[in-house]
Amino acid sequence: MKTKIALLILFISGNLFAQEQKMSDTEINAFKQDVNLVSKKIKTLSTDFIQYKHLDFLSKDIETSGKMIFKEPSLLQWQYKKPYNYTIVFKNGKILINDEGKKSAVDIGNSKIFGRINKLIVGSVSGNMFDDKEFTISYFKLKGQNLAKFIPKDATLKKYIKQIELTFDKEEATVVQVKLLESSEDYTRIVLKNKVINAKIDDSVFTN
Amino acid sequence: MQKSTIQFLLINCFLAIVLVSCGSVTKNYTPKKLDKTAIEVPYFSDSKTDYVYKTNITVYGNELSGIFIAKKINDTLHRIVFTTEFGNKLMDFEISDKSFKVNSIVSELDRKILINTLKQDFRLLLKKEYLIEEEFENESDNIYKSKDGNRDNYLFISKKEGKLEKVVHCTKTKEKFTVKFNSENNIFAENIQIIHQNIKLKIELNHFKSE
Repeated sequence: MKTKIALLILFISGNLFAQEQKMSDTEINAFKQDVNLVSKKIKTLSTDFIQYKHLDFLSKDIETSGKMIFKEPSLLQWQYKKPYNYTIVFKNGKILINDEGKKSAVDIGNSKIFGRINKLIVGSVSGNMFDDKEFTISYFKLKGQNLAKFIPKDATLKKYIKQIELTFDKEEATVVQVKLLESSEDYTRIVLKNKVINAKIDDSVFTN
Repeated sequence: MQKSTIQFLLINCFLAIVLVSCGSVTKNYTPKKLDKTAIEVPYFSDSKTDYVYKTNITVYGNELSGIFIAKKINDTLHRIVFTTEFGNKLMDFEISDKSFKVNSIVSELDRKILINTLKQDFRLLLKKEYLIEEEFENESDNIYKSKDGNRDNYLFISKKEGKLEKVVHCTKTKEKFTVKFNSENNIFAENIQIIHQNIKLKIELNHFKSE
């Protein structure tokens, strides 16, 4: 009996520790300031990533990985290397795709939704996404990390993404994980690793 | 004038029927004594396996790529999800021989004609068992005819390895589409192609292993 109670206490307290704690207003302001300061300095950014697609009915997450490169103001390359080669580049109103050597381009012109998606990806990776007009934002503390949850206000965007969660390293104030929730059961989790900020990156990288 | 137009149309229709009928599929094949009454297809039949494929869809010259995911969730039902490479869900279906449910679909793809085509395609792709009515053969394959409502499916099974290589879905007069399987071990299909004969639609699935 005693062991059972001990286990129960351990279980409950374990849960409590794992839980996210809401930030106070002062903490929110300090956190936003830290992140904005860091993200403002970002001229270029490259990072490795591992993407886990979680669907509730699957026995295992679908894992893909590769490299992401960003250069100011809006050049972006998202490159999957494993288990297949697939590159997507956002550049001057165009999306360039290289699918296992098969190249294609889509002119998105001034497409609002793609403009938003581009801004969203860059914002997610750099962390600079604290736009109260676009999102309802809530802030939490974790062990050694901070967490911001963004719920889109725009109806079109909301159809695709229910919520975005960015996890930040507390010390560096940079994003370490992006989680895109489609529903309560299904989400995409992207873990960022080996981040390099402001290395020299040539424009010619951004091609398919 | 009107009479000749009708005649012309009739002849054309007749030609069309003769040229593309399923009858012509089996015309060159020799009827054979039926050696089985049912065929089980293994390719999507394991409820423990997550079937995950990189997918390319070519439709009237347009390319669309993404990830195709299928999972057998009970004896009769499969769940099918198609996502972009980024992981955004484009469509989510539940499908069995008799039922079909759209769990979600993005508005850009929410077209009745597309959904009905995919429903037909996926139903055949996932079909587990065929009841056989007639049998034919050619040099390399045994060909089994199975009734599918008022249509027919022809299953091509290689004589050498006993593998199901393709299923051709036909009306009484036309080939509608073909599902081709490439399988190393006869349990799992690494590469699958769904090719439509009457519309310009091709779906290619290539299995990939998560890291």
